[in-house]
Amino acid sequence: MTVSLTLSGITAHYGTTKVLEDLSLQVEEGELVSLLGASGCGKTTTLRLVAGFLQPTAGSIHLGGRDLTRLPAHTRDIGLVFQNYALFPHLTIRDNVAFGLKQRGMGSAARAKQANAMLERVGLEALADRTPDALSGGQKQRVALARALVIDPPLLMFDEPLSNLDAKLRVEMRVEIRRLQRDNGRTALYVTHDQEEAFSISDRVAIMNAGRILQLDAPEVLYSRPADAFVANFVGFENIIPLRANGEQDSAIRAEMAGGAILALPRERYEPPAQDFLFATRADGLMVARSGEGIPAKLGLRTYLGRAYQYRCETAAGEIIANGPLSDPLEPGTDAVLIPQHDQCTVLPADS
Amino acid sequence: MTIRRPGWILVLPATLAVALFLGIPVLDTFSTTVTDSTGLFSNYEKFFDSRFRRAVLWRTTEIALITTIASLLIGFVTAYVVSRAPGRIKSILIIAAVFPLLTGVVVRSFAWLVILGKNGILNDFLLAVGIVAEPLSMLYTEGAVIVAMVYLFVPLMILTIVGVLEGIPEDLLQASASLGATPVATFWQVVFPLAMPGLIVGAVLVFTGSFTSYATPQLLGGEQQMMMGTFLHQRAMVTFDWTGASTIAVIMTVVTILIVLAMGRLARRLNPAAV
Amino acid sequence: MMMRTRPHPALTAFAALVFFFLMAPLVIIIGASLSDTSFLTFPPQGLTLHWYENIFEVSAFKRTMVTSATLALVGTSLSLLVGIPAAYALNRYRVQLPSFLSTVFVLPILVPELVLGFSIMKSVTTGLDFPIFASLVIGHALLVLPYCVRVVSASLSSFDFSIEEAAVSLGCPRWRAFFTIVLPNVRAGVIAAFILALITSINDVSISLFLTGPGISTLPIQLLAHMEQFFDPTIASVSVLLMLVTVGVMAVVELTLGLTFLTK
Repeated sequence: MTVSLTLSGITAHYGTTKVLEDLSLQVEEGELVSLLGASGCGKTTTLRLVAGFLQPTAGSIHLGGRDLTRLPAHTRDIGLVFQNYALFPHLTIRDNVAFGLKQRGMGSAARAKQANAMLERVGLEALADRTPDALSGGQKQRVALARALVIDPPLLMFDEPLSNLDAKLRVEMRVEIRRLQRDNGRTALYVTHDQEEAFSISDRVAIMNAGRILQLDAPEVLYSRPADAFVANFVGFENIIPLRANGEQDSAIRAEMAGGAILALPRERYEPPAQDFLFATRADGLMVARSGEGIPAKLGLRTYLGRAYQYRCETAAGEIIANGPLSDPLEPGTDAVLIPQHDQCTVLPADS
Repeated sequence: MTIRRPGWILVLPATLAVALFLGIPVLDTFSTTVTDSTGLFSNYEKFFDSRFRRAVLWRTTEIALITTIASLLIGFVTAYVVSRAPGRIKSILIIAAVFPLLTGVVVRSFAWLVILGKNGILNDFLLAVGIVAEPLSMLYTEGAVIVAMVYLFVPLMILTIVGVLEGIPEDLLQASASLGATPVATFWQVVFPLAMPGLIVGAVLVFTGSFTSYATPQLLGGEQQMMMGTFLHQRAMVTFDWTGASTIAVIMTVVTILIVLAMGRLARRLNPAAV
Repeated sequence: MMMRTRPHPALTAFAALVFFFLMAPLVIIIGASLSDTSFLTFPPQGLTLHWYENIFEVSAFKRTMVTSATLALVGTSLSLLVGIPAAYALNRYRVQLPSFLSTVFVLPILVPELVLGFSIMKSVTTGLDFPIFASLVIGHALLVLPYCVRVVSASLSSFDFSIEEAAVSLGCPRWRAFFTIVLPNVRAGVIAAFILALITSINDVSISLFLTGPGISTLPIQLLAHMEQFFDPTIASVSVLLMLVTVGVMAVVELTLGLTFLTK
């Protein structure tokens, strides 16, 4: 049974503070969608609303044909993996995994068998009789995962499940989470503040801020075509430069930046939303060169990135960060040009 | 001069004080009971041969047990409600439990003297309503002692259990609900087992406290309801039978320590993770 | 909007009853202390503060109040004097000291107070011929030692000793670092320990019972004796006075560690 999750017009408050505003979200059958944002953006609130630990002040939540909005948490049938694992300290690993089966009235022999099978899938069958305090962080996370999966819920939810693990284990575990979710083909909602984690694991990612979803897209789209300045900044566009279009030449838009420098933006790559717009690029998208057609700049502090040199550059439009080739290190104070690499740049609407 | 073991020097005064003024006197009390006697355990044989003394020990155990069980039940339910109360109300309730706890035993026992006395408030009320025709004599009964003891120890129990319940992470309750456990199932399968160590600590405090109490049985039980505490005082300060008093003191201490050790073991057995 | 599972109404009603049960007797004492009758009664008949004046006319109450206050202050101070260094050492030199030491300071809890009082009376007051007041001080200091060590330890356990090391590395002598760096940071714990020990000592019956003697008694012991002979509202007014002390103690605890400390 694979179903979709639909949130429509959800508004939620903590006391009198509005934490979610008219939020709508559709997670398709078998899809893994991440909610990504800084703390306080409403991502965890959204997950808790779906889990039934909070009540929305407006809107509805549907899982397949079922209206969850007013159902108590324990009847929602959702597998939830917590940030700090939330394993029951008084139960063995096996009993932790079997807990949900017990609530479903399964006999003790059958649930032990099923819990053992699940533990085998996450590679922890040897620890079944231990209690959680004897386990490492990674092992606890596997148990939490097994406990959520064993009840075979139509929806899986993850609340920052990897944030208490060290960097190496995080990478390992997210691959495992993705594998297990793919294997059982369940719809999943994943909450994280880690961009790399969200992008690597998800079919689609929703970037949230101040209780709203700003953009919901595949990671590839988000990475290269952010919808607005906030998302662009969030996904690592270091330079967001205001431009004004003032004509066309040779199938390129001529756009002027503060201080008078002119950029030629090829028509087939850019579609400025208005006469005033923003030009967004990462440091990689502006190549530092001694000469050429681009933004005139005076180079400042140079740092070594391993794959390139990065420069802080003084321009008439303010400070810009750009990278230059390892083969040609330039000294601070040098006059240079910053040449846009058009496949790595994008345009955005000016701030409303 | 270099002090190589500063830790030892700092704990020395307190350790010496405990050793000199607690260790030696209490050991002396213990040794009195075996040296000042005809046989090694003859003082204890004498104690257990006396029907009256056996009755005191039994009454004390019985009152302490009933007090403990009643305090556990009352304390647990109340603590559960307190721990679920919204922030502001919760603080008020905690204050309401701390206040009697910090008010002396004498004052709190005295209150029951006023309530349960022959011309007391309860009798006034019962007479006024017409439930009884003659004032009841409720003082100097086992019931009076138990009611006052429960009154004495319920605040301690509430605070102990609130502490444990507050220590149960909200996440565990949510995890339980997300796995399909009804609120009742969550209570019995998660909250109760995790609160067990607190219940045991509370039970130990109440049992040992009521087993060794003095003021309450003295005021509300009197001679008729002699308990180990009042008996010890009577032997030591009225009849000046210090060997007999020491024997009572040793039995009290041994019971206290045994209960503490046994319950501590039980707590670790039941829940190795939470202790 | 938080979905906290509310307890069943019946449980809530039961808890309300329990709190009534906890508060009512204390309210009755307050009422009785104001009654314009020569016997204890509630609700009070007529209102008077006469019984509060009477406290200070009964010389035994006046005398034992002073004794109890002096005893509490001296006993608690002594206890802190040996208890703070011990608590400090137990936290700072945890690795160096054997673990049984921390048990030593809770021994007074394991030994019933009555037994401790009786044993001190036997071995110290009588055996060593100590003056009555000195024996009382010893008994009370031992009684409150576990509180002192535990409460001070609790606030030391969250103290970051690297701050002290920083002070020493900056040229501050160890003893001065203790007074200027460590103590100010655990001030709340020390104040709370002091005040909790004080109230424990003031309310104590079980230890004092054996250690008071001719001419020297404490307020609770005097109250007990008075109750067994007289039944006038003076006892109630003394009790109310003691409750006021409790209120003061609670205010100080709330201001230092917070009352929720007592649930730990």
